[in-house]
Amino acid sequence: MIELREVSKVFNQGQPNECRALRKLSLHLERGGITVFKGPSGSGKTTLLTLIGCLARPTAGRITLDGRLLSNLPERFLTEVRRHTFGFVFQQFNLIRGLTVLENVMLPAYPLGKPYRELRDGARALLDRFRLAAKADSRVEWLSGGEAQRTALARALINDPAVLIADEPTANLDSALSREVLGLLLGELAMQGRTVLISSHDPLVFEAVQVDRIIELHDGRMVGDSQC
Amino acid sequence: MLITPAIVALQLIALSVAGTVLLAAGFAWKILRHWNIYSGSELQLRLERRTYLISTLLGFALGAELLSLLLFAQTAESLSGQFVGAMCATGVLNVNRFGFPTLLLKIALFFLAALWLLLNRVDNRGYDYPLVRVKYGLLLALAPLALLEGTVQTRFFLELEPEVITSCCGSLFSATGQGVAAELASLPARPALVLFYAMAGLLLVMGLAFRRWPQLGPLFAATNLLTFAVAIAGIVAFLSLYVYENPNHHCPFCLLKAGYDYVGYALYLPLFGATAAGMGAGIIAPFRRIVSLQATIPGEMRHLTGLALTGFGVFYGLATWLMLRSNLILLG
Repeated sequence: MIELREVSKVFNQGQPNECRALRKLSLHLERGGITVFKGPSGSGKTTLLTLIGCLARPTAGRITLDGRLLSNLPERFLTEVRRHTFGFVFQQFNLIRGLTVLENVMLPAYPLGKPYRELRDGARALLDRFRLAAKADSRVEWLSGGEAQRTALARALINDPAVLIADEPTANLDSALSREVLGLLLGELAMQGRTVLISSHDPLVFEAVQVDRIIELHDGRMVGDSQC
Repeated sequence: MLITPAIVALQLIALSVAGTVLLAAGFAWKILRHWNIYSGSELQLRLERRTYLISTLLGFALGAELLSLLLFAQTAESLSGQFVGAMCATGVLNVNRFGFPTLLLKIALFFLAALWLLLNRVDNRGYDYPLVRVKYGLLLALAPLALLEGTVQTRFFLELEPEVITSCCGSLFSATGQGVAAELASLPARPALVLFYAMAGLLLVMGLAFRRWPQLGPLFAATNLLTFAVAIAGIVAFLSLYVYENPNHHCPFCLLKAGYDYVGYALYLPLFGATAAGMGAGIIAPFRRIVSLQATIPGEMRHLTGLALTGFGVFYGLATWLMLRSNLILLG
């Protein structure tokens, strides 16, 4: 489904502070299942997920989605792919302060032009599923860490993406909250047939029984690939 | 040299167009040599990223080039009071040997720039840069003309000497004179009028046929260009006579004067716009089978053909009205 061919990413190319985040990485990810990218800080996990999720472009190499070249798409097409194919959960939650939980969840769906009532009902159903119905009208800055990450998870799913990308989703949570978020992420979502890609160096994540594949990165190279 | 705000604006446009086109020409050469959409090399990805920047810059520069034709004609007309012997833009363009070449280069660049902008617009709507080589190839053809136009225009303005006594439209567009302008002026009115309307009929038939058979695209583009040429000839040969109500005044520039209600602008704007749209429609037609453009080009062709036929319709309608309301009896 997703294929990377000799993908490299260099930041500040040609500058004294040049950083090679990924080095000729080739990878094939099948549709469905949970894949965890593990490795120390600076190993290239986040960069890899941003390239797969079309948030950045590689310096060299190609990325295809269902056989269609992604990495060279003009921006307007890339935006469409991002909206319809990928959902994102970030380490820092990246919720919009000043907006309510419900508004945050609805936000990524506005450009698709769905009827407002349908959109709001969909968002409320997601909040209900993630036990956040009571917080729907609360501002996001009033949420606890676990609630904020569950809100981010609901937001990532509002457009019903085929691929969910989570970058260190438990990094800002204590163990109890991490288990709670992981329970939702790994249990419920993977059962729906979505492809879930998670970067993490949290053993709670890559030792979870639901994980199908673990890919280990180091210095921008793949150093391990194991099926679970 | 005369310095007016319009001359400064025209020079700035020429400078920025020449600079941008020169910058883009180097990039275009790299595209033609190295572009390979199937490659994931650093060079290919760099070219893909840069094409956004370059085509955006070119979009602004060539858009300004389109406007500069209008500004140039208006400036030439407005300067006519500054030169002894000049009654309209013809006299100003005759002040030195660079006036008419500048105008002709501007007209050529107007159509090439419009075509480039259209190709760029279509290319941007394909997911795999389908016309990237075509548009940058066209840019390489356009670049020398843009540089030449900038140079010739600069010489024209630098050598505008107010003490020069110039000759105006009466001598240039005279049936007894020499050169292309005189030959157009000496065309017999009746055959010219028949040809003028025959071209309108042919264009309409071609437009309708092109809508049904897109493979006629290049032929439709050629018909638009031919209709444009015949229309210009018609303006000189007989339409101007009807407007001025004078059987010997063939000038296509006096039409821009306030004394004739600026009717020239109302004639030339739809004529130039329609020609560019019609040529564009015909020229993009051969690309309609490219997979990534199959959803875009048919709609674009219909839209442009509609624009072309409407523009020519406005031009012919206005021309006919001008002849009908005139007190001149040219054809007995």
